[in-house]
Amino acid sequence: MFLKHIDLTTALRPSYLPDEDLLFVQDNVGLYEGKFKLPNQQNGQVYLTSHRICYVDKAEPRKYSVALDLKDVERYEFYAGFLKSSPKVTLIPKATKRSSLQQRSPAHVSIPSRSGNSSPAHRQEGALRVSPVEPTPVSTATWVCTICSFSNPVPSNFDPTAANAHTPLPPCLACGIKPTLTHVLKAAISNASTRQPSGPALQTPLPVRPKQISELTSPQSPGLTAPPRSSDPDASFHCPRCTFANHPSLLSCEICGASLISHDIPTNLAQSPRPTTESPGPFLNSIAPAPVGLESPENVKFSFRRGGEKIFYERLKGCMTQRKWLLQNAPPIPKSSRSDGANGVPGAVGSSEPERQRPKIGGIAGLERQTQAMRKNNELVIGNAFEDLEALMASAKEIVALAESFAKQVKGAGGSSASENALLAESASQLGLITTKDIVGSNGGDSLYLSELARTLAEFLTDDRRGVLRKAGGVISLVDLWAMFNRARGGVELVSPADFEKAANLWEKLELPVRLRVFKSGVKVVQGKDRTDESTIGALLAWMKDLHEFPPEREVPWDWHEFGRGVTARDVAERFGWSIGVAEEELEMAEEKGVLCREEGIEGLKFWENFIDTGEGKGYKDEATLKAELTLKMLKESGFI
Amino acid sequence: MPSPFPFPKEHSFPPFYTPQINLSTRHAQLSKWSSLILSFCRHHRIFRISLSDATASPTATVYPLFNNGAINRRLDLSYIREIVEFMRRDGRAEWCSPTAAGGGESRGGGGGGGGTKGDKEGGDLVWVYWRTPEEWAGLLERWVEETGNKGGVLTVYELTEGEGTRGSEFWGLDQELLIKAIQVLVKKGKAQTMGGEDNLGVKFF
Repeated sequence: MFLKHIDLTTALRPSYLPDEDLLFVQDNVGLYEGKFKLPNQQNGQVYLTSHRICYVDKAEPRKYSVALDLKDVERYEFYAGFLKSSPKVTLIPKATKRSSLQQRSPAHVSIPSRSGNSSPAHRQEGALRVSPVEPTPVSTATWVCTICSFSNPVPSNFDPTAANAHTPLPPCLACGIKPTLTHVLKAAISNASTRQPSGPALQTPLPVRPKQISELTSPQSPGLTAPPRSSDPDASFHCPRCTFANHPSLLSCEICGASLISHDIPTNLAQSPRPTTESPGPFLNSIAPAPVGLESPENVKFSFRRGGEKIFYERLKGCMTQRKWLLQNAPPIPKSSRSDGANGVPGAVGSSEPERQRPKIGGIAGLERQTQAMRKNNELVIGNAFEDLEALMASAKEIVALAESFAKQVKGAGGSSASENALLAESASQLGLITTKDIVGSNGGDSLYLSELARTLAEFLTDDRRGVLRKAGGVISLVDLWAMFNRARGGVELVSPADFEKAANLWEKLELPVRLRVFKSGVKVVQGKDRTDESTIGALLAWMKDLHEFPPEREVPWDWHEFGRGVTARDVAERFGWSIGVAEEELEMAEEKGVLCREEGIEGLKFWENFIDTGEGKGYKDEATLKAELTLKMLKESGFI
Repeated sequence: MPSPFPFPKEHSFPPFYTPQINLSTRHAQLSKWSSLILSFCRHHRIFRISLSDATASPTATVYPLFNNGAINRRLDLSYIREIVEFMRRDGRAEWCSPTAAGGGESRGGGGGGGGTKGDKEGGDLVWVYWRTPEEWAGLLERWVEETGNKGGVLTVYELTEGEGTRGSEFWGLDQELLIKAIQVLVKKGKAQTMGGEDNLGVKFF
């Protein structure tokens, strides 16, 4: 089966694999299999990760949530949407039964000449892996010559993290003057930072223009129902920089030299623009290159009813290029490799090659070499970052991460006293799957971000490894949680208090296992859903009953066998691990319910088991209420209400 | 001297001396104090309590009621007033004025509220009706019938201190309280008062 049922976390999100990265989230997505809608999967959230695409159903998340592994995807296509039909992304599974010849033919048709120079790693995969969307290794980064203002491409093998003063730099193509290193570095970094932050995509093409797609495809497939374009029927290609209309077969602009929009999108689209309605008619018009998709009943479509499809497609393309799942079985990747990737360094393919070879060197020598390499890499990252302020901005995340890991090492050497801090630092890295505003689809607005944040929080709270809630005795005040959460995020992507509170308010609605509780005094606390007032009172009473059995530390004048002893909020806080504020509130809640009574004395406010109201007061209520109830009952019986 | 009063266990329960916040607990606390005060006074045949004695003079009989030296707890004067007010609403207490018995009602309201007004108007003394004047009147009436004193005339002194009533319930009864009881009988037309202030006589019908 292409679509597999998946396990969800406590917060109803897909549980991720160890080194899986969340790339994008979008709500209001429906699923199709073949050309038919899947009846139970029409409204949910789609999580794009580095390994999978997960669909989590909104109504019945535990029942209908599915995922498909990207490694099983043969091809994927984009449909921009037309009139009432929403934009869709189609994923076509690998058909192992099919002969490679059959596989190849469509691939050949769809891949433009450029696909010939795909990375060596790619070629090894064989025919089955041939993907039409392999981006070219040509770097899209350009640097503008300071002498003649000509835009030169940054060499594809230029690695900002590894570049130093001795890196050979090609001279300007127009005037022949060599650029300074920082100049090129800046250009490379700014190019990397404008791309999606998490996808270490090699060369994400310039912004996709779905409209252009139809214009490109129309000459090839006249039977398509794609929207007809009134202008530019000659399929010329506008340069994104200087707007010169180039011939479609050109790879870079004739005038300014900027590389043109990647050709893979149009070719894909040439196959994809099905009307996606249930009517089978237009389907047959689809061109020959898509027999796989046409025949296979298992091709899956994601219909984006509230936008987000473009970013989704971009990132999907990025991770299909990276193919992180290949590393899934490899030993844990050293940190440096990740920072490489996150940097979006051009030529990461080259750097990932030695990565894969590394495990071959075993033993202490291997470890030593690894550490050495890592140290060297850290040195480079730091060196680069401080060379230029802009470069520092661009690599802020890595520097923060580095500083954190250094701090951890220092603390680790100092002793075990900082276990909590270590835990936090640890959890910062575990929070790699955090939801940030740029992961979440922009069109969904704040609500999607908030609901994702609510789920992240719920996971953070219920995670057994961290045991945040457990350590706080099952109750933690919202402010404490906010502080802890932001500390765990390590100072980046902080959550504003307003967003935090809004997200906390969503727990109830999203049916997450934690709930926000507001005490009488207005104090907001967070606790597990299973934890009710009754269970709290039960725990308090059980403890108080114990106090009848165990003699108090010092002599007390009253009969402790009979009454036990009074407890202060501090005692309770110590006993149950709550904060004092929470303990006070819980005690007052129990008093409110008549289970405890208070004693104000020179030692402060103490709470006792209620031996004052031993039942006689229960009937008190007040007579007016009772009378009203009685009247109501009688009225009901006589049929007036 | 009578045997010491057996205090209920609440009396040595420390929170018993703190006004409770919870309404139903507070109600229970008030009624427990009320019944404690009544039974304590019945035991010691105390008819009225001086609040200042009860809180400030350790030699007074009533002192141990609101002060538990064993657990080092005492009841606050303002809370005592609240209890008295609670009892008054129940018909089991009354603020007593040395001059006019009828003025108790209005002063009682002030005394129960805060205490300052009560203090100024002498709201220190409280009748504790472990038997209400009506109940005393009933007892008196029955005694008159049983002893054949119908139609006879007796002085108040005779009733409370005299040899004839020794052994009856109201022997040793506070004179003012007895007069209140007699007033009840007068209203019912079962008795008539005669004579002056010092030597009040009662004729029973």
